[in-house]
Amino acid sequence: MPFITPDFAPALAEMTLLGALCVVLIADLFVSDERRVITFWISIAALAVTLIAILAAQPLSREITFSGSFVNDSLSTVLKFAAALCLGVVFIYSRDYLMRNGLRKGEFYLLSLFGLLGIFVMISANSMLTIYLGMEMLSLSLYSLVAFDRDSSSCAEAAMKYFVLGAIASGAFLYGVSLIYGVTGTIQFDVLTTRVAEAGSDDVALWFGLAFVLVGIAFKFGAVPFHMWLPDVYQGARTPVTIYLGSLTKLASFALATRILVEGLPALYEQWHQMLLVMAVLSLIFGNIVAIAQTNIKRMLAYSTIFHVGFILLGFFAGNAEGYQASLFYTLTYTFTALGAFGTVALLSRAGFEAENLEDFRGLNARSPWFAAMMACFMLSLAGIPPWVGFWAKLHVIAAVLDAGRFAGDTAVIFFSVAVIMVLFSVVGAFYYLRVLKYMYFDEAVDRHTLEAPADMRVALSLNGLAVIGVGLAPGGLFALCAQVIG
Amino acid sequence: MTVGLQHYLTLSAVLFAIAIAGIFINRRNVILLLMCIELMLLAVNFNFVAFSRYLGDETGQVFVFFILTVAAAEAAIGLAILVVLFRNRRSISVDDISEMKG
Amino acid sequence: MFLNLLFYTFGAVLVGAALGVVFSRNPVHAIMFLVLAFFNSAVLWLLLEAEFLAIALVLVYVGAVMVLFLFVVMMLDVNVEQVREGFARYMPVGLLVAFIMVVELGQVIWVRSWGISTLTTAPPLPEDYSNTKALGKVLYTEHVYAFELASVILLLAIVAAITLTMRKRPNLKQQDIAAQVAVRREDRVRLVSMPAEKKE
Repeated sequence: MPFITPDFAPALAEMTLLGALCVVLIADLFVSDERRVITFWISIAALAVTLIAILAAQPLSREITFSGSFVNDSLSTVLKFAAALCLGVVFIYSRDYLMRNGLRKGEFYLLSLFGLLGIFVMISANSMLTIYLGMEMLSLSLYSLVAFDRDSSSCAEAAMKYFVLGAIASGAFLYGVSLIYGVTGTIQFDVLTTRVAEAGSDDVALWFGLAFVLVGIAFKFGAVPFHMWLPDVYQGARTPVTIYLGSLTKLASFALATRILVEGLPALYEQWHQMLLVMAVLSLIFGNIVAIAQTNIKRMLAYSTIFHVGFILLGFFAGNAEGYQASLFYTLTYTFTALGAFGTVALLSRAGFEAENLEDFRGLNARSPWFAAMMACFMLSLAGIPPWVGFWAKLHVIAAVLDAGRFAGDTAVIFFSVAVIMVLFSVVGAFYYLRVLKYMYFDEAVDRHTLEAPADMRVALSLNGLAVIGVGLAPGGLFALCAQVIG
Repeated sequence: MTVGLQHYLTLSAVLFAIAIAGIFINRRNVILLLMCIELMLLAVNFNFVAFSRYLGDETGQVFVFFILTVAAAEAAIGLAILVVLFRNRRSISVDDISEMKG
Repeated sequence: MFLNLLFYTFGAVLVGAALGVVFSRNPVHAIMFLVLAFFNSAVLWLLLEAEFLAIALVLVYVGAVMVLFLFVVMMLDVNVEQVREGFARYMPVGLLVAFIMVVELGQVIWVRSWGISTLTTAPPLPEDYSNTKALGKVLYTEHVYAFELASVILLLAIVAAITLTMRKRPNLKQQDIAAQVAVRREDRVRLVSMPAEKKE
């Protein structure tokens, strides 16, 4: 086969980000610790340039280049835009925290940008090799970000746990990929689809490969029973890293699942939807019940993440276009809501003091009515109470599952009972979110320090909160976008 | 019986299983965990090389090439985290993954 | 027949070495067993005619990664006794899981026919086939994107490892070459004129 020089234009966003990242890497060498804020501004500029590049690379139709290892479609534009925007907000939320806690190192920004590049690569992957490399790029930068505070024993321990479990998960993932390659002789998703459809789906080796690949996907999502790392890492890491982990990585996991399951192995839907069902329902139940018992807000939000992951996976479980659209909608809205919730945790922290416990939210209303209202928005959205955006996200997933159930024939009862479980546990979940509201509004403040956050963080957090309520009041636009990118 | 694809796959499956068993057995010893992970990747590479040869397709070997590269990077970062952990704690034993803490 | 003998010999040593990694009491011994496992795998890959990867495995793994492991083990001075806690406790679970996996994977491998016609004999390679050349050709053309990504991952690993482990130690005595070169005679040597002593 003669080699054709690849078309580089679709990969404009990745190339711009890599170039900007190298600028940050070099520029940071000449910045002293006191003036580390310069690195922050260069990183923000890098993200702004990347956002423009993403829009410039917007494809008219699905473009595949680099001999079939790279794909650029409208889904990738949306996910990349959301990821880059989200990282910009993470930087704004983190800057002051890092400065106050003596973590004045430019590598935080640099490693985060490397992680973003990994997310981009995963989003635009069209082969198992590309998606593996993107996944490792993201994971390696996350491991080192968790261990970023070198003098903290809890950070190092969390990083070690994350590293070991993550490496085992990617080993299992690769074993699955090798079996799938052995059966089909290809690692490219579009070729894979046709080969699996030709060969038929009743191949035991293919099922085994799929099972191992699903272990990897479930680990990246943090779905039960591969969730063990999630609470420990969320709690052990410093708050800026937790914000990163809690928001951006969900976009990457969504891309991983969509590219492999929906685009690569749709012929195996019968097999993977059963495996997803078990993991999703366990996540809904386990995440919710354990979250009730938590007193640490980061840990509580970690367990609630497991619960939300259950919803995202159930969108895939529905297996129809509405389901995938609902999953995308859920992922996007959850990412930005979680971003705000973890951002508020960073807002309440001061030099040498982590606002980690639920008690630290006591009487927040008296200290700052505006930010108490913002936190209330995030909590009500996560709880799924109308008209906040989380309600619509949950509603769409439940509707998609019910819709799939209508065509399921004998197995319809499974779909309907899953919908009942979803509604039931959303109600249970509301309990621990509303408890935060109770602390903020009905309890006396123990801690009476005024909030010290800088202006840009206050503005970003306010916009974040207003977006959660704004999209909740008019969810049509975002949902139309999701419907447009997943046909 | 002539050695064929299945023999190589079986050998790789045995290696993979030993690595998994090693992870269970040595779950407190981080250095041995890292070595078991290397063993696991070796099993994966074995699969890829064997499939690549019997399919007459080079992609599998290219995949192994990249797994080797990434695994080297991964080992470097893993060991760096281990050094940080040791400096802070003067030991490398990690408590069991706590599931219901708090 | 000779190839069969080679496969079974090296395969047996490989499995033995892997068991040695898992069960050895001393981390240094475990590393040595792992090195043995990698050497044996390299030989088996030669049997599979993947010459380039066989050499790369020895160079990259034995030459670099394992030496790095060895350095870290020596540097950290691990307390072996403390680390062995819980070894016997998890042994039955580990062995059970391994046994189930081998049985299941074995079934998958042997029951299924793999759909590849040349099951026992691999497709013959052309007379002038060079594994390294063939890999090189696809690596820099078809897989150029992955190749670039791998370079980014290596850069990331450099940055991350340095961030995590490099420390500026206070009170460290360092050579300042610029200052040494820039020094002038007047800074170091003071000429003192003394009256010459008179000899009586």
